[in-house]
Amino acid sequence: MIRNLNIILIFTSVLMLSGVYALKFSIENTASERTALISQISAQEGELSLLKADWAVLNQPGHIDPIVRRHEMMLAIGPVKQEQFGSFAALRMRPAKPDNAGLDALFLSLDAGIDPIDAILELEGIE
Amino acid sequence: MAVIGEFAPTIALDGARKVRGNLTQNRIRWMILALVLGFSMVGGRLVQLGMVETDTTIEGQARDIITATRPPILDRNGMEMAVDIRVPSLFAEPRRIIDIEEAVQKLRTVLPNLSENWLRDRLTGDKGFVWLQRELSPAIEERIMRLGIPGIDFITESKRFYPGMTEASHILGSVNIDNQGIAGIERHMDGEDVALLQDLGLARGNALAPVELSIDMRVQHVMHEQLVDAIERYQAVAAAGVMVDIYTGEVVALASLPDFNPNDPRTALVKDSFNRITAGIFEPGSIFKTISIAGALDSGAVRINDQFDARFGVRFGRFTIDDFHGKHRILSLSEVYKYSSNIGTIRVMQAMGKDNYRAFLTTMGFDQRVPFELPEMRLPTVPKEFSEIGAATASFGHGLSVSPLHMVAAYGALTNGGNYIAPTLYKRDRAEAETLYRRVVQPSTSANIRYLMRLNALEGSGSQMNKAALGYRVGGKTGTAEKVVDGRYSSSKVTNFFASAFPLDNPRYAMVIMVDEPKAENPQTGTTAGWNAGHVTGRIVQRVAPMLGIAPDFSEILDRNIVPQILR
Repeated sequence: MIRNLNIILIFTSVLMLSGVYALKFSIENTASERTALISQISAQEGELSLLKADWAVLNQPGHIDPIVRRHEMMLAIGPVKQEQFGSFAALRMRPAKPDNAGLDALFLSLDAGIDPIDAILELEGIE
Repeated sequence: MAVIGEFAPTIALDGARKVRGNLTQNRIRWMILALVLGFSMVGGRLVQLGMVETDTTIEGQARDIITATRPPILDRNGMEMAVDIRVPSLFAEPRRIIDIEEAVQKLRTVLPNLSENWLRDRLTGDKGFVWLQRELSPAIEERIMRLGIPGIDFITESKRFYPGMTEASHILGSVNIDNQGIAGIERHMDGEDVALLQDLGLARGNALAPVELSIDMRVQHVMHEQLVDAIERYQAVAAAGVMVDIYTGEVVALASLPDFNPNDPRTALVKDSFNRITAGIFEPGSIFKTISIAGALDSGAVRINDQFDARFGVRFGRFTIDDFHGKHRILSLSEVYKYSSNIGTIRVMQAMGKDNYRAFLTTMGFDQRVPFELPEMRLPTVPKEFSEIGAATASFGHGLSVSPLHMVAAYGALTNGGNYIAPTLYKRDRAEAETLYRRVVQPSTSANIRYLMRLNALEGSGSQMNKAALGYRVGGKTGTAEKVVDGRYSSSKVTNFFASAFPLDNPRYAMVIMVDEPKAENPQTGTTAGWNAGHVTGRIVQRVAPMLGIAPDFSEILDRNIVPQILR
């Protein structure tokens, strides 16, 4: 009776021992994974902070202005002048009625194969 | 063995069972002793380990302080003005280094700028922690890690980085290598609460809420660029400018040249790179006439349509004060302002009385520092009491020294309807600002001052400024203050100011521009303020007004509406 009990106890203790060891090793694994993740996160946070700083530099008016200056000639741009501002009040009102006669003339000339816009484009030298 | 039996000692033999029992008892005793010894050893070691105090400090400073972060600083539109970047710093644990010579040689292959002797000295000994080089780049970190030297490691530190470089240097200030503010708003923030958070070890990670400033980086850029241009164009020794929102007191832009690069704090030590707006005090010259006239108008001693005798200079004993552009006739008040007449301004001030005038200067805050966040401030020097001649010179801005920040705050109060509001670098809305208002002049006086400033831009000394800024309804006053050289006023060395506000039909912003010791740009121009400080103001407004949502308007009705009823 007691012998049987002892045998059972020995087996269970061996089983539990191996279980505890397995748990220990798996926890060690998880811990090292965690450490690796933490260091990866902090490395990525560091990279992120550098990227953010980069973006902040590229976004500064003081950084963009010289670039604009460099391409001013080619893009034909410049600081805005007062005369370039307009307002809604300055827009002409829509004509009360459509200009029927003018539209008829336009359609007739288009039918005849003459596009009045072509003449303007040619005058401006745009193909 | 002759006698057997008599008192012979008896031999008592223990039975086998008893012997066995004794032996077991002994074994158990030994066992217990061994166990007790074993456990007491384990226990003793535990107690010993518990007593050990691990040294978490780095050369006398807590690790937390070194890795502490600072909140990012944003401008009013959310653009970064200062951010933290994570950088690796190299340290060594000399007590764990095995071969010092090898470590020195290997480290010098990556960091050749470290001196060999210094490095050997540093790595020798029994210390637990020494810095080798702080704030390196990740690439160098990678290369050093590949060397595989034992006892050499990296710690990640936060480093302050200012993407705007020099542009907002005097606003931001800078931090030292331990991330503590040493100048500018950085230092002020430490005084507030960042330092406390860092002490508690809470300022880690990116959890800190960003600090929003009132600065608009676009405007700041334009002002900085124009001041750089001004120094070159007029060969000036210095230039500075400040713009405030007159209703909230928010500083929209503040620049002072020469300046420094906050990313390299050593450059801040260069001579003359102090903040002229807050920490420089100057004789303001004629821009002070606006204050004198406002005081006299507000006291009721002078009305906007009064006339003043400017035919002759004003005599004080041996001295005679005369006009620079003398008209030598009877001048109306608007002409006194327009022609910047010293004689006329003295008469205006005298009508008010010198003691009332002195009291008005106190009301306008010229006795103390402007309440402002930057630590770099200086006390103005205004005489406690005015003599007759002292009051006379003070009325046109000589014999007293104030900072440009005083002037811009005063101009703000005189144009916003008469409420003094202390300038601030933090974002503030109008409702919050209104609780801080202090009435200094009546709204009618403010309206008259707006008219005078606009008139001066249209017909007076500000007309040079108005050429560039047409349509934006700018008005302002020039001030050319002669510098004192060897105890005398010099006419060749001058400090020039232009104090302005725009758009004057419904003013929003006040600005003071200063150009120090300018020369004429070309032979056709002069060295008075209109030619340099005025031009700079005009160019800044032209660039900045559209950014601030002010559309140009050329209709003359706006200018006519500013004219007081009595003069129409």
